[in-house]
Amino acid sequence: MALLPTNPQWRGLVLLAIIIVVLGVLPWTVNNYWLRIATGALMWAGLACSWNMLGGYAGYINFGQSAFFGLGAYVTAFLMGDPFGLPFSATIPAGMVVTALFAVIIGAPTLRLRGAYFAIATWAFAEVLIQFASAMDFTGGIGGIGLPPYLNERFFYFAMFGTAALAYFLTWALFERSRFGLKVKALRDHEPAAEAMGINTALVKLQTFVLSAVTASVFGAIFAYWVTFINPKSVFGGDITDQMVVMVLLGGLGTLWGPAIGGVGLFVVNRLIWMYWGDTAFYIAILGTAIVLVVLFLPNGIAGLFARRKNDALDKVMDKLVGTGAGGHP
Amino acid sequence: MNGGMQSAADPILSVRGLFKHFGGIKAANGVELAVGRHEIAGLIGPNGCGKSTLFSLVSGMVMPDKGEIRFDGRAVAGMSAHRIARLGLARTFQIPALFDNMTVTDNLLAAAAEGHWQGAYERAAETLSLLKLDHVADNRASDLSGGQQKLLEFGRAVMRQASLILLDEVTAGVHPNIRKIILEAIARLREQGVSFLVIEHDMEMVRNVCDRIIVMDSGRVVTSGSFEDIVRNSEVMQTYLGRPQ
Ligand SMILES: Nc1ncnc2c1ncn2[C@@H]1O[C@H](COP(=O)(O)OP(=O)(O)O)[C@@H](O)[C@H]1O
Ligand SMILES: [Mg+2]
Repeated sequence: MALLPTNPQWRGLVLLAIIIVVLGVLPWTVNNYWLRIATGALMWAGLACSWNMLGGYAGYINFGQSAFFGLGAYVTAFLMGDPFGLPFSATIPAGMVVTALFAVIIGAPTLRLRGAYFAIATWAFAEVLIQFASAMDFTGGIGGIGLPPYLNERFFYFAMFGTAALAYFLTWALFERSRFGLKVKALRDHEPAAEAMGINTALVKLQTFVLSAVTASVFGAIFAYWVTFINPKSVFGGDITDQMVVMVLLGGLGTLWGPAIGGVGLFVVNRLIWMYWGDTAFYIAILGTAIVLVVLFLPNGIAGLFARRKNDALDKVMDKLVGTGAGGHP
Repeated sequence: MNGGMQSAADPILSVRGLFKHFGGIKAANGVELAVGRHEIAGLIGPNGCGKSTLFSLVSGMVMPDKGEIRFDGRAVAGMSAHRIARLGLARTFQIPALFDNMTVTDNLLAAAAEGHWQGAYERAAETLSLLKLDHVADNRASDLSGGQQKLLEFGRAVMRQASLILLDEVTAGVHPNIRKIILEAIARLREQGVSFLVIEHDMEMVRNVCDRIIVMDSGRVVTSGSFEDIVRNSEVMQTYLGRPQ
């Protein structure tokens, strides 16, 4: 590490600059096959980040984050198709608005209850959307819906890169460096005490949930345009949420960089397995094993190995989910 | 004591006919009390008589079955806890309810995040040195010693810049040095016009700090008066001291 400055802050900045430069020139150094893998890795790093906003910083487990990814995807597919034919960029804000509305409808009543209710409500919402999208004509039913093809891999790479960068910047600015983040972490650690400090915990949770959901919807929109064809399972599927959860747990719950480490790491492993063994169920086994190992031996995730301070976010999440403990609801 | 006169005229807090039953337990069974402006009122009574529950009712963490609570001229019974807190009421928890995963400094900043954010960093630094917690400023709250956790619990209430602070056994079981720090801080805040309602078991501290003492038993206020009045009233002493703690 002799090449890096010793001051941790400067070292972090230099590392960040190196990562940005490497990611910036990557599209001109690898072939399309690897570029697609990199694009996917950035998307997953961003999705994991979106899940971590609520799950890691506020301590509320969302088992239906795929619902918002899928909403973004479907709104874009729907509005780019006949009869609207809107340009891609115009569909993104529409998807964000639709997603925000649904997040408020789901979150406002359930985020007041113990975390388990919220977890079940979000999971059920994603299931409902799968059924709904499968049954409706305007969504193309089970067959799905196509988008106008745009075969520019670099565009999608940079769209995912930019969105992920924005998601991480927002997480840093809002959760690590602002008053808002103090409120969110306070309610994660002790909700009654946060209320006693004047924090409107129900509102702060809802704001965090909307931010998290809207972020996922943007990735869904880009994904739909990228793959040019979506169906209910490919964008609402529960396995999409499962992966986000495992990525965050593996990387480090409630940390800034954990989701990036877990997201890129797991996705690349996924692709390598796919390359060597084909489309096997082996990945599911790895995913399951990873969950068990993390919970047992690495409760702070990989990021926890490098952290200066311990982090018991997982404890708080469990407390909210099933406990009647101090971290729970009054 | 002139606290009684003041509290009769324009109390910062007044509670009338307050009831809260948990199943068969009458934790508040017609509580009546008032705390005057700039007063430090002590709240004593046997374990389980409903002191902490009274704090939870007043701060909006527990909804009353019946009764009136006025804080700084407003009816607050039934209001949410964060709204009452924003009106200028701060409380501590008997069992420290810290933000475990956050640093000591961030615990203090979080307490100021809603409300008086102007100058919060400076005030957090002042509070850290006032409570002699500077050396652990960057530690996680859950890594503090028991006494330090009590100090931080108190420090968060200080950060609220409240007009009334409810302290729930904030010096119980802490080292005399830490107790001294807390007592000095209370005295200083009172000079700035803050009122206090203090649940306390240590009679020596009650005597030294409180202008007036309110005695509770079985969910009601039995009597109130100066330390000397209370001590002279042997029946009260029996109520308070005659039971196992
Ligand atoms: N949330 C609750 N649910 C049920 N019973 C409670 C609850 N809170 C307090 N109590 C009961 O109410 C009574 C008064 O408790 P508390 O106010 O903590 O007393 P004190 O602080 O004076 O020791 C006790 O019998 C206690 O067990
Ligand atoms: Mg008590």
